[in-house]
Amino acid sequence: MKQQSTRVAFIEKLTELADENPNVVLVCSDSTKVVKADQFIEKYPERVFDMGISEQSAVACAAGLASCGLMPFVATYAGFITMRACEQVRTFVAYPGLNVKFVGANGGIAGGEREGVTHQFFEDLGIMRTIPGITVVVPADASQVSMAVRAVSEINGPAYIRIGSGRDPVVFEDYIPFELGKIRILKEAGTDVAVFTNGYPINRTIEACNILEKKGIKPIIVEVHTLKPLDIEGIAAILEKTGAAVTVEDHNIIGGLGSAIAEVIAEHKPVPLVRVGLRDVFPESGEAEMLLDEYGIGVSDIVNAVETVLRKKERERWNK
Amino acid sequence: MNKVNVNKVDVDRADVKEISPNELNELKEIANTLRKDIITMIYQAGDGHPAPSLSVTDILAALYFRVMNIDPLNPDWPERDRLILSKGHACPAMYAALARKGYFPLSELPKLRTLHSILQGHPDMKKTPGVDFTTGSLGNGISIGLGMALAGKLKGYNYYTYVITGDGELEEGIIWEALMAAKRYETGNLIVFVDNNGMQSGGKVEDVSGLYPIIPKWEAFGWHCQSIDGHDIEQILHAVECARAEKDRPSVIVAKTVKGKGIPFMENNNSWHKGAPTREQWEEAMAALGGVK
Repeated sequence: MKQQSTRVAFIEKLTELADENPNVVLVCSDSTKVVKADQFIEKYPERVFDMGISEQSAVACAAGLASCGLMPFVATYAGFITMRACEQVRTFVAYPGLNVKFVGANGGIAGGEREGVTHQFFEDLGIMRTIPGITVVVPADASQVSMAVRAVSEINGPAYIRIGSGRDPVVFEDYIPFELGKIRILKEAGTDVAVFTNGYPINRTIEACNILEKKGIKPIIVEVHTLKPLDIEGIAAILEKTGAAVTVEDHNIIGGLGSAIAEVIAEHKPVPLVRVGLRDVFPESGEAEMLLDEYGIGVSDIVNAVETVLRKKERERWNK
Repeated sequence: MNKVNVNKVDVDRADVKEISPNELNELKEIANTLRKDIITMIYQAGDGHPAPSLSVTDILAALYFRVMNIDPLNPDWPERDRLILSKGHACPAMYAALARKGYFPLSELPKLRTLHSILQGHPDMKKTPGVDFTTGSLGNGISIGLGMALAGKLKGYNYYTYVITGDGELEEGIIWEALMAAKRYETGNLIVFVDNNGMQSGGKVEDVSGLYPIIPKWEAFGWHCQSIDGHDIEQILHAVECARAEKDRPSVIVAKTVKGKGIPFMENNNSWHKGAPTREQWEEAMAALGGVK
């Protein structure tokens, strides 16, 4: 499996942004090594603020920096931003609508992998999604992290970007365009079922859909890299075509992509849905790929989910 | 009294050492006016935190009306001094000062805590001109002020950032996180007041927590420390001057205050942490504030 670090991609792009904009600064909480910040520190030592192991203070400090016209990127582990410093994110960044960008490493159980539950963050997206006014992005891979970092720098307001462990699978061979707030169709074999996915599990979603195609099932694979603002119109249009949906994510099935799609389904286009993700349990240490297989986000789980949802779709058709 | 010092931007900063008796009296009169505004505003609104507002009034009067380099007609001026009321529940005192300073009309004050008011239950930087940062959830002001101080240094501005915390508020862990970082970054442009009225929502600070003593802890964190009477305006001004003289380390001024100061039936009576006076109590309070002390 070809890998490229989402962490390195972040810091390279941030350094580039800093070249262009003197207001770009980096705020860490003893996380400069986590986000591979060496090149940034070397070039702009006066624009790095390391608060030590104190995420709440780091986020509040970033809010103060932003109130004076700077554009702080707060970068550390996803859970320490979204959980330990949750209130600072909500009350002092999101509520005043300040221009602070959050970059959360170890997103998902694959992101935390061998570290175990304390460093695997599968609630981050749900938490951030419930806070008004924050843009929430789950880039597919390193190249998309680069694009997403630039994209959020071009909006004025808070944003959260999820990155991984640094051992992140490549999804796109080239730097393909990234449009904030829009879904992307990755493959359209047909309209039997829509498979919505994002982040780390994209590759295994594609693999599962290849298996399904061999079985004569024609899915449409949709990447939802921006969870907020959600492309409700785009998603509803896909649901209209397929009449069935599966979600695949490295996150608790509560709060993240699965919930977001369920909300669109409930309000705009009622169709059967099956969610693939962490099934509201705590995982454990392990190698990323094996963890996803163990905790219900395997290729076979995706195949089963699609087959299940198609049976539901068929049953509903008969009931009508 | 009407608006005071409107539109007067003192570029060279107030020389607080040479304050004349008249100027000192004027500041005392302002503080007294703010107290009347506070009690009236909370009486009219029917809700608010009177006693915590009254303990911090003299500090706010000194800062807004003598110390700070600000321009009410240009509240977003990038090079202005900043003030963060970390104990945001004392905002009636801040609102009174901002209105008297000319940031918004006095007629806004009775709308405190009501729907569509610019005066929220706790300070909102997006709704109220002159509020430099949103506060209310305790413990966060020093970290935010540190961010402002660091931004000032990075941008080459000479402004100061003032933060006012409560004493009970110091029980929050984030306070001590900020103290460590401010020491490391040598933010001489960050000055913190502790409104040490000795009480918090649940009772006396010493009964609720093991916080005391404050100064030795703060000294251990490498800050410049002073202890003053928080109702003595001369002492407040002198302490600010000493704090500003510290160029390479942040300063804390622990101000001993009386919760409910100026209104006898509220002084050191923690039942006035939150709540509105009745008509009779309001009249009694106004009578007590009738003259300049």
